[in-house]
Amino acid sequence: MSLSWIILGQLDSIEAMVISLPSFLYWFTTQLDDQRFWRSNESTSKKVITRDEWERKLKDVKIRKEDMNKLVMNFLVTEGFVEAAEKFRIESGTEPGIDLGTITDRMAVKKAVQFGNVKDAIEKVNDLNPMILYANPQLHFHLQQQRLIELIRIGKVEEALEFAQEELAPRGKENQSFLEELERTVALLAFEDVKNCPYGELLDVSQRLKTASEVNAAILANQSHEKGLGRNQQSQFFMAE
Amino acid sequence: MPASATANRPEELVERLGVGGAAAEGEALLKALREVKNQIIGNKTKKLLYLHLGAVPRIVSVLASAEGGGDAALIVQAAAAIGSFACGVEDGVRAVLDADAVPQLTRILSYPDEKVVDAGARSLRMIFQSKLTPKYDVLQEKNMKFLLSLLYRENENVTELAASIIAHSCERHEEQKALCDAGVLQRLVKLLGGPLNQRDACLESIEAIVRNNSEVAQKFACIDNGKALSSLIELIQDRYPRTRLLACICLIAIRHASPCYVQEMQIKTKLILILIELLEEPGKAGDEAPFALTNLIMDEEELHKQAISINAVEKLCNFFYKGPIEARRLQGILLALAELCSKLEKCRSQLISLQVLNFIVDALKHDCTDVRTAACSCIRNISRSLKNLSAGHLSSETVVVPLVQLLHDESSSVQVAALGAICNVAVNFATRKSVFIQCGGVSQLVQLAKSMDSTLRLKSVWALRNLMFLADRKDKECVLMELTVSNLASLICDSEHPIQEQALTLVSNLIDGCGDTFEHAFAEDSAIINALTRILHSASSPGVCMQACNQEAESTNTLVQVLHLFAMHSLRDLIRTFYRCIEMLPIKGMFLLANIAAGNEFHKEVVLNCLVPPQPNGNNPSFIIKFLQSKENLLRVASVWCIVNLTYRDGLCSSTRVARLRDAGIISQIKTMVNDPCLDCKLRVRMALEQCMDFENSEHVH
Repeated sequence: MSLSWIILGQLDSIEAMVISLPSFLYWFTTQLDDQRFWRSNESTSKKVITRDEWERKLKDVKIRKEDMNKLVMNFLVTEGFVEAAEKFRIESGTEPGIDLGTITDRMAVKKAVQFGNVKDAIEKVNDLNPMILYANPQLHFHLQQQRLIELIRIGKVEEALEFAQEELAPRGKENQSFLEELERTVALLAFEDVKNCPYGELLDVSQRLKTASEVNAAILANQSHEKGLGRNQQSQFFMAE
Repeated sequence: MPASATANRPEELVERLGVGGAAAEGEALLKALREVKNQIIGNKTKKLLYLHLGAVPRIVSVLASAEGGGDAALIVQAAAAIGSFACGVEDGVRAVLDADAVPQLTRILSYPDEKVVDAGARSLRMIFQSKLTPKYDVLQEKNMKFLLSLLYRENENVTELAASIIAHSCERHEEQKALCDAGVLQRLVKLLGGPLNQRDACLESIEAIVRNNSEVAQKFACIDNGKALSSLIELIQDRYPRTRLLACICLIAIRHASPCYVQEMQIKTKLILILIELLEEPGKAGDEAPFALTNLIMDEEELHKQAISINAVEKLCNFFYKGPIEARRLQGILLALAELCSKLEKCRSQLISLQVLNFIVDALKHDCTDVRTAACSCIRNISRSLKNLSAGHLSSETVVVPLVQLLHDESSSVQVAALGAICNVAVNFATRKSVFIQCGGVSQLVQLAKSMDSTLRLKSVWALRNLMFLADRKDKECVLMELTVSNLASLICDSEHPIQEQALTLVSNLIDGCGDTFEHAFAEDSAIINALTRILHSASSPGVCMQACNQEAESTNTLVQVLHLFAMHSLRDLIRTFYRCIEMLPIKGMFLLANIAAGNEFHKEVVLNCLVPPQPNGNNPSFIIKFLQSKENLLRVASVWCIVNLTYRDGLCSSTRVARLRDAGIISQIKTMVNDPCLDCKLRVRMALEQCMDFENSEHVH
């Protein structure tokens, strides 16, 4: 497990939780209810395993080094740590499965959203592949919604309303859930103290992160669906928010 | 987009697009293109705006001018913008096609720059998704060559494009064969191992190539000794729902085209299971799943049973309780339920017990034409259940009134479907037909019975016929008054044979048990009798039967069997009508029968079945025996003429007819009339007996 410690040292510190793999598994365990462990949709009988038993079994598990490496590489690629991925590739011989060059593009989009430059992010996404937004109407709506939020945040009320009318209202007409979200967003304009109003969390940084994450996932999915990138990496390792 | 930035006003942006003149160049042009593209992606209003400002031809000219080289970035943006215009907006597709964008986009597919190729391929794919785009003619050699070159490229967007073009353009047998012969199927199977989008596109194109073509389907099944088929079977359990759906659709197409493949019950059950699971998926995969399911089980009772045993009906009905359903999915669910109810009583009772009938009735009022049609089919099939009909589930106002409303529907397919449902619903054993009559159903049916459209005519007459089944006298009078005898007569003489049949049965049902009411109508205005005579004499339309006879006429027995069969089913009603006529007007009726019996084999058979029903009703002697014993000379003469014509030795079946007449005691009766007081009668009796004698003699000689 020493390899994983080297990586940690080179990671940028970001808002997301950064933890090592063994401790991740520990964290995973602590989230579990002691009593009910095995969950199965179909079966009517539930096998019950205690915490101690589980930890014993965990210790006994032999995870192949190659699998661990793949998991690490997947994490690095998904989260966009290009240099770390490159170094890891050299040190462990694990193939990233995608062109590392595409990571930079994707990270640029994600960063743009995280910093509130949504128009820029949208343009970058369209440069990558116009199909991404076409295939993801919900993502498109959320990006537009984020733009609206940013306009409200800097107090440009008139522009915000115009934007909402031109870009978002037609989408709200097509889809009931879009309309509801739109209404929530526009409602921000009604409040004096926006930060503390019922929908105040929309203005929170976490909202940007949510949108950024959505964009990230969509780009990844599109790249793998179109070019078969990362086909070997069936699982996507999503960090807890 | 803040409108304050005047540099980005649409009109000005469009001015900057294009080649030469006032158009921008280099970096400025690139910016303008990119700006337009970003504005229109996902925004229908903006697309239409820029379309009307004439942006498309300008952008295409940018592409055209970049011959062999040119700025890759410009080409990419131009191509992407064009693709976006064609995406989901019909006017956009038209504009793009009119501006001749396709050859330009095709040209850039051979550029060295991967990004350019990707942009071109994606945009072309958008264009070929539209129904407006003309088919790509694969029968032209150079086109086929080009298509193949695309299929063998390394770039997945390009191969996906090739597969989409095939799925879009492949319809006729010749096209399917040409593609198959060119080895396209093998290549597509290989490409199934690629990324998701490519795989899905390949599945769609495989289906297009094998659809309804048994030769091609067979060839597919033999690829790699059946490995291609196995890959498809694996794909029905893929993790992506759309892939599962497309793979199922492919297998179903192969099965329909060439039934010896995909025939084990195991695989068919799996398909049913997977499609039923797919119902739960949101989005297009779930929307299309019920259609595929209906297609799979169509007309196959075994598969209906399988589906029911894995709770298909409940799962489908659950959707009604989950809230409003989108139109396409609702249509699919209704069609699937209709198919399941088409044969099995179990399904129909299940539907009723799940209490979803009111949802189906609601769907009769849906905005979407297809949904209304599907709801009618559903009700029609549910009402094939005698149990449901007699329990009156379907004859209440809540069901009948919306159905009658649909008879006025603007769409004729809805009208036809509604008629189908009414046909069945009208046959109820409870005498609550007044509901139907009260809400104006009859006048509408009568209207439709005069329609130019033969399907509408047929179904409306059928509905009237069913309505009159066991109806009470008042209702019958009402209907006859509305319909009028002359309309009825012309329906009996309708150019379409099926309509004649239904009209005859309608007459039968009208008369049934109400003889005296109609004696008036039939005696004075002999329109009905004349009509009956006319159709039989001009009977080339029992030609259906004659055709069957000609095909089967290897042996006498077969011919007779076929005739009997035909007589039993469709002419039963005709014969019944004759009985009625004969009862009321014996002499006229017998002369009629005698005349008809002078016709061909078929006519003779009809008359014989009148006299001697194939299924004798107990020990009742044939009515002709009574007539032969009558005091009326004319009646006896007419009856004997009938026998003379029936025993006339001209065809293959004469001996059988004589035998039947003899068994019914008719020949013995005639033998007693050798010395009939009426000369005319006596002569005919002798003629008849001579003809019978011939048979008796020949029988002993074998």
